[in-house]
Amino acid sequence: MTKVLLIEDDAWLADIERAVLKAEGYSVRHVTNGQAAMDSIDVFRPDVIILDVLLDGHTAFTLLHELRSYKDTSSVPVVLCTNLAETFPAKTLDEYGVKRVVDKTTMHPSDIVGAIRAVL
Amino acid sequence: MHLGDGERGVLPLVAAAHELKSPLALLRQLLLQLQSTTLRPAEKAVLIERAILTSERGLRLTSDVTKAARLEDALFTLEPINPEQLCLDIVTELQPLFAAHGKTMTVKSRRHPLLLVANRDLLRRIVVGFSDNALRYSGENTAVELQIQAFKNAGTVRLGVRDYGPALSSDMWRTLQKKLRTSPQSVHARPESSGLGLYIASQFAEVMGGRIGAVRHRDGATFYVELQASTQTSLL
Repeated sequence: MTKVLLIEDDAWLADIERAVLKAEGYSVRHVTNGQAAMDSIDVFRPDVIILDVLLDGHTAFTLLHELRSYKDTSSVPVVLCTNLAETFPAKTLDEYGVKRVVDKTTMHPSDIVGAIRAVL
Repeated sequence: MHLGDGERGVLPLVAAAHELKSPLALLRQLLLQLQSTTLRPAEKAVLIERAILTSERGLRLTSDVTKAARLEDALFTLEPINPEQLCLDIVTELQPLFAAHGKTMTVKSRRHPLLLVANRDLLRRIVVGFSDNALRYSGENTAVELQIQAFKNAGTVRLGVRDYGPALSSDMWRTLQKKLRTSPQSVHARPESSGLGLYIASQFAEVMGGRIGAVRHRDGATFYVELQASTQTSLL
């Protein structure tokens, strides 16, 4: 079963995304902040990470930098899920290893599933 | 830490638009999810309630932005207010929102009631804004507490919103101090938050002759507004 680590600080949005992913047969672990994400990665060993940009205190890019710096996490594909899709240059995303960006303002809940399939 | 000497000026449109994106995007997701044909009635009811509460949050924000943008043109009546009664009213108003997140909100009662001088509407908006913030940052299954404190020497009353959750790191604390002192920033320059809510609260406090601030605890934070105490105790 494909394991998805969902990093999203909005509990209600996370509920929707988790329900959609579980209905598609994914194993989902949800965390709300960057530190919990780093702790979970060691234990949960996700196949893919869905990452919200507006994380409290530990911004998504700090987390991405950390992920890229460890050998065992550097290859885990990341899907960025954000309200700010238009503000990130493609080159920056590429440098941080982001494989796909999903725009929260225009996406359908099922787009998360499509993005995961595209990066795995 | 007393804060709030924010720069006066026009609220940046980008910051306001950015802050509104979150509730609008969430509302859209809730409604899209409601279209699903496989939902049970109880699940639909939850989604509908969340959609209503999310739209109310967005409307509060638009109302605060409008109010803040017109502060200099408007006259605000200052009157003696019982902060404990105001807090109880706010708890009643926000209880459905907190319950929907599995959290509670309480007022720490005082043995000796106090009065402060404020504009009721602006003060309510500050405390509701802090409470909304506390709801987001507090830990699961925790209570957010509204606290009232008198500073007799300074002749002020502090109305604080205490949340219980992870301690703020030093980096986060420095960022918070900066947000409380300055105008909201462009989301492009600082994507994690524009600080618009704190900026609006500081403007509202300033127009009432008060100030806002924050206290860092080992298990959370308190955001407060401090205003002149009133001596009209006969109103209590």
